[in-house]
Amino acid sequence: MPTKLLKWSWLAASAALLLAATAQAQITSYDERDRLNTDSHIGKYTGHATNAKEDYRRYCVGCHGELGDGNGEVAQWLDPKPRDFTLGIFKCRSTPTGTLPTDEDLFNTIARGLDRSNMPVWNTFTKQQRADLVAWVKHFSPRFQKEKPGTPIEIPAEPEVTPERVKAGQDVFARVQCWKCHGVEGMANGPSASTLTDDLSRPILPYNFTDGSRPKCGSTDQDIYRIFMTGLDGTPMPSFSDNIKPEEAWDLVFYLRTLQPHNTFNLKERQIAKQLGLKPVNPNAPAQ
Amino acid sequence: MKSHYVRKLAAVLPALVLVCAGAVLLSQKVNAAGGGSITGTVKLSGTAPHMKGIDMSKDPVCSKAHDTNPAKMENVLVGSGDGLENVVLYISQGLTGNEAPSSQEPTFAQKGCMYTPHVLALNVDQKFKVTTEDQTTHNIHPLPDPTAGNIGWNKSQPPAAPPIETSWKNQEVAIPVKCNIHPWMHGWFVVVKGPYATTDDKGSYTIQNVPAGSYTVTAWQEDLGTQTAKVTVAAGSAAKADFTFKGK
Amino acid sequence: MTSPRRHFAGWLLCALFIAGALPQANALPAFARKYGLRCSACHEAWPMLNYFGQKFKDNGYQLMNDHDAPIWQNPAYWPVTFRMTPYWHRESTDKVAVDSVTGDATSAAREAQVTSHGFDLSGLDFHTGGTLDKNISFYLLPSSDPTGTFHFETVMARLDNLFGSSWLNVKLGKFELDNLVSEKRILTLTPISGVYQTYHFLPPGDANIYGQIGDNQLGIEYMGHSANDRTRVSAALLSTSDGNVNLASGTNTYTGFFAASQAFDTGKLGVQRLGFYAMVGEAPITFLTSGGVPVNGTGTGNKGFSREGFVGLFYLKKLDFLVVTQHGSDSAWFGQGFGNATNPFNGTPGGGNGGGLNCIPGTCVLPAAARAPSWNGFLLETHYVYSPQIVFIQRSEWQRVSQQAMTTNASSLGNTDMYTFGMRWYPIMTSRAGFAWHNEYSWLRTVGGSPVTGTDLTSSSLMSGFDFDF
Repeated sequence: MPTKLLKWSWLAASAALLLAATAQAQITSYDERDRLNTDSHIGKYTGHATNAKEDYRRYCVGCHGELGDGNGEVAQWLDPKPRDFTLGIFKCRSTPTGTLPTDEDLFNTIARGLDRSNMPVWNTFTKQQRADLVAWVKHFSPRFQKEKPGTPIEIPAEPEVTPERVKAGQDVFARVQCWKCHGVEGMANGPSASTLTDDLSRPILPYNFTDGSRPKCGSTDQDIYRIFMTGLDGTPMPSFSDNIKPEEAWDLVFYLRTLQPHNTFNLKERQIAKQLGLKPVNPNAPAQ
Repeated sequence: MKSHYVRKLAAVLPALVLVCAGAVLLSQKVNAAGGGSITGTVKLSGTAPHMKGIDMSKDPVCSKAHDTNPAKMENVLVGSGDGLENVVLYISQGLTGNEAPSSQEPTFAQKGCMYTPHVLALNVDQKFKVTTEDQTTHNIHPLPDPTAGNIGWNKSQPPAAPPIETSWKNQEVAIPVKCNIHPWMHGWFVVVKGPYATTDDKGSYTIQNVPAGSYTVTAWQEDLGTQTAKVTVAAGSAAKADFTFKGK
Repeated sequence: MTSPRRHFAGWLLCALFIAGALPQANALPAFARKYGLRCSACHEAWPMLNYFGQKFKDNGYQLMNDHDAPIWQNPAYWPVTFRMTPYWHRESTDKVAVDSVTGDATSAAREAQVTSHGFDLSGLDFHTGGTLDKNISFYLLPSSDPTGTFHFETVMARLDNLFGSSWLNVKLGKFELDNLVSEKRILTLTPISGVYQTYHFLPPGDANIYGQIGDNQLGIEYMGHSANDRTRVSAALLSTSDGNVNLASGTNTYTGFFAASQAFDTGKLGVQRLGFYAMVGEAPITFLTSGGVPVNGTGTGNKGFSREGFVGLFYLKKLDFLVVTQHGSDSAWFGQGFGNATNPFNGTPGGGNGGGLNCIPGTCVLPAAARAPSWNGFLLETHYVYSPQIVFIQRSEWQRVSQQAMTTNASSLGNTDMYTFGMRWYPIMTSRAGFAWHNEYSWLRTVGGSPVTGTDLTSSSLMSGFDFDF
């Protein structure tokens, strides 16, 4: 009897293999053949889409879906929703609004994760794995076949923080009215905060500078600069590059730092704010 | 392997034919001058839907602009004689395909926290300006269908910001545009090829510079959908096409 | 093939395809449900962790996305996972002591092959874990044996990222030791392969139960890691009790466990990891007695033991290799069976199942032939991950006694060889439930282990079952 059972289990095992093979075949059944040779180039790393297939299936598919459309099995439970790669629209870019991100932008997003979303920090991948995944992410959208990524905005060298700059930054904050959404104290409670929706009409919250969380697209000074100059496509956050000059942009970065809770990276800005006795901007002041 | 090759060939052949046809057509410069026109009115039958008032109290700058003239939604605007305003009329069939874009540069203004005009018709590649006259910050956020080939963007326009000058690369009826800061603000870009017109407050329109020929004219209304009519334009004369949308 | 057989094969195939096409189940493993990740994101094959899962655990069951605190969860979220395995198995041992005349207890013992098979159950594991707040995590695992008798396998709370540093984490309670290859996440399930021989081995005569790194232990653990978890270190101070509660065994002595590892970026192959571990502890051999029975908490005459070795996790495309070495050594006293005289699990002190002798002053002496036993173990486990849903498993473990507890013992006495082969197929792989069809065959030989003749003892185990959690 046991030997018979052994035989059956072998038979069943082969059947199982067959089943798994067909399941794998289904993943490529949509018309993506021409896009499978998508490459990515990040520094010395060249990523190939097909190399990332296994990793995508293991780590990503539950949320982003087999077709990369953000409709994975758990997408219905998530907020914010997983990115739909087929649209080719990405929040975190170094490139102007409306353009494709660079390979490096996607590469960085994978490793950084997206705070306050379900996108974890995938710094457990090797750089090669990440480069491959970038290529795989790109292959879902025909946009990457037709368009080149935008030209990354230029970020001038970061100047020294001075009280004048922090004050000037506050003026920029008042002039372009960041507070309309983010609130005068950066607490995400501006008059428009409660009615914001993303491009798919789903409610979305502005970043709260004061609760200690990290901005979605990075927390270095350069990241903050990039966020408001390029905007976060797909969200209400617009690009301010037409209305904030590069030197003013640094001032604004320094002022935004004063809104963030005490941390080692913004000690200086917070000290200056204290010395200046900075008060939140007055939302009722006439526009300049 | 073999079928793959056949499929490729199938994709390339029509493209080749198109290129040849294009070359022939290009050699005959389209001469719009001396062409005819299409004219008519667009009306609404039945009761006009109620346009809700807009509560702008979250932004005092906006609400102040409407102190004496309360703001209302503009989805369906019915003027005198049941004329429907903001209906875009364009030629959906019968064009040669190589009409030059209009050289006019219209303005899409943010004024009193509303879009003026509410609907802006444009040609593919026709330049237009987005301006602001408001003392509050706007973000202008067109949302084209990502699969249609136009690319959305999202830019801020604080008070006194310089105009944004841009255009659309592909035909798309229609691209919604919104301001996230003022969620009631919404408008449309209607991007078409060839001559077009937008109805005035009486519902009348005239599509100018239509070369002689047979065409299908489409009327697009943001809430009520589209209607089509076939017209034949003789050189130098005006063809007539009236439309009636049914109120919901 | 006879025709009824062919029929059966047809039905089986059919059933398999239907099973594969079933809609994905909606039950909820605690973490996957909380974060919406599939099992495969954290598990090489559930329950064994992969690198990302290890990082998640090292962060205190947090993704570090600022939504880890339970306040972000839907109130209906219940962080509980059940795991149980119904299965069929066949156990065979070639030399079991039986009466030479059946029914006559006075007749001499002889050895007989005994084989038993049938349907059976595993115990029930009742996992619950997660965060109590940002950077405060917990894990509880009440676990039952197949009859339903419960004990607490894991109970711990952990303070994570103290002072904002991933290098400062402290946990307290009963927990799995910081083993890169953790027995609590084992992929093999037969009675033979369900534990790592390497983590429990003792030479003949040795009764020291406290050096078993495969068992969860009571204590406090410091753990630190780099932000990407490439570098990890930990040090734990444990009660010398092998995880038994009520201060009932070992008594008043402590054991240290240290582990460190470093991962290396090898490009396309992913990340390879190398580490070492060491366990050093002591336990008393002499207890005061009351009515002749050893009294808890009175142990004196502490003797030492140690376990140390290397661990490697290597990945080669769809193949991965787990390697563990262990060098163990015990005091000569432990080698003579002294050591855990108050162990409540033995019933009678000095008798049965690893229970130790009480070293009564004046009467207990080490035989002249006694020596401190030492041994070396080696474990190699190979996985062929055909896809995250199909994993083929092989493990070989060899234990070699390098110094016998008695010079009079044959040098190979007690050596063991263990081999196991299995396949786990997860027909569904979602963020909501885990279900595996598990098939495995294991084989174990102990040199000189047979009860009557002292010849080699061989046993084997075959199983097929459903291993599921939700």
